[in-house]
Amino acid sequence: MQKVVSINLNGNAYQLEEPGYEALRAYLQRAESRLETNPDRAEIMADLEQAIAEKCGRYLGPNKTVVAAGEMATIIAEMGPVESPEAATQPGSPAGGTGAQQPERGKDGPKRLYQIREGAMVSGVCNGIAAFFDVDVTIVRLVFVILGFVTFGVWVLVYLVMAVVIPYADTPEDRAAAFGLRLKAQELLDQANWQRASARARREWRRTWKRQQKAWQQNWTEHWQRHWDRRWQRMTQTQAAMAATGAPMGGFGHILAGMTLPVFAIVNAALFVAWSLVMMSALMTGAIFGWPLPAGLPQWGSLAILCVIYLALTSPLRAARHGAHLAWGPYYHMWAALSSVFWLGFTALFLWLAYQHLPQVHALLDQLPSFWQKRRMSFTV
Amino acid sequence: MAINSGEKLAPIRKGLLEFVILKIVAAEKVYVADMLKLLSDTEFATQEGTLYPLLSKLRREQLVDYEWKESDAGPPRKYYKLTAQGRAQLAALNDYWKELNRTLAQLEK
Repeated sequence: MQKVVSINLNGNAYQLEEPGYEALRAYLQRAESRLETNPDRAEIMADLEQAIAEKCGRYLGPNKTVVAAGEMATIIAEMGPVESPEAATQPGSPAGGTGAQQPERGKDGPKRLYQIREGAMVSGVCNGIAAFFDVDVTIVRLVFVILGFVTFGVWVLVYLVMAVVIPYADTPEDRAAAFGLRLKAQELLDQANWQRASARARREWRRTWKRQQKAWQQNWTEHWQRHWDRRWQRMTQTQAAMAATGAPMGGFGHILAGMTLPVFAIVNAALFVAWSLVMMSALMTGAIFGWPLPAGLPQWGSLAILCVIYLALTSPLRAARHGAHLAWGPYYHMWAALSSVFWLGFTALFLWLAYQHLPQVHALLDQLPSFWQKRRMSFTV
Repeated sequence: MAINSGEKLAPIRKGLLEFVILKIVAAEKVYVADMLKLLSDTEFATQEGTLYPLLSKLRREQLVDYEWKESDAGPPRKYYKLTAQGRAQLAALNDYWKELNRTLAQLEK
């Protein structure tokens, strides 16, 4: 059973199977970027959409209302890659012909470092690095743990920085890029193109490609699909609705997103302040506000455990906050920036409140300058 | 077909595609799907992805123009035709092509 997405092609509604929809979206996006400098871009895009719509019509009848993914792949292969004629006159670029772009074939997509939430133990840093270098994630984790010991805990800070700095792979494109693979839709499309190319010498390559794709697909389905299915569904529905109406997300979605934003920011800031104070206390006094650290562990070990506990506690929060981001769709960056501002504000507020109303915190923060001085002395001596 | 798909000949075909399209449009008012069908069995077989941008460029250069025509199946279609300027351009290209052929023939002697 395949999920179906409704789309609007140049004024006509069509129903596509989801992989077909992804393939079409990838094709049209690519076309649009190729025509970026073309003054007639809008008109050409409309022409292309209409041509695709007519080809879709060929596959539809009174008893068949949905264009299958395979059919869409055929349609896209027939359409051929969109080339701006200005660029096409350059020597060396292949002529119309079969429309197969050989130089691109088989090349992996751009590989980027991401954090991968699915199957992550803490934040997803190791997971992303494992995907990037194409090694087992357990090996990466072992290396990280060993580095943690060897560097006396400094590596934990490095990890924290990475957890903050490295972006999460949240779109299918990102997830593909995290593995250096091209988007599934792109593969579908390439495969269709590929099957049109008849050169016998490439048959072997095709077999490898298919095997690889199959393995990846399997991996994908097992590990990620279940987790992402619901969210992705929500996203595509929003996108499909947007494509159909041409209007951005309705007011209700914004109100909801606007309501969740301060809640997440408050909870996050509160946890962050609490954690920072606990860390400071552990670092400066060797105890968490009078509660002694486990005696058998070195101090940095306790700090590392605290970091892990904090990350474990906040990971569902971050995921939920991220879910809200996704719902914000095209305004993602705006909302993300706003929520960061909120977070910063609340963090400052909570710190101030703790300083004013909790005597222990007050004492701790007052000690901070002298502690820092002592530390600096011990470093310089 | 083997030699046609050779990489060396691809730029030649590509360069000639505009000429070929002008020739087709000169003969009658045509719709893109008809052009593709007409070319599908020739060396100049091409696809929508190439043809639409090319036609839009020709229209920008005022060599072709189109008119909307109702169709039995689906929405109205664009039918392309040559402009006066396009006809002049085609004539010039025809002459140039003949000249090229003459030159090539002379070089063979």
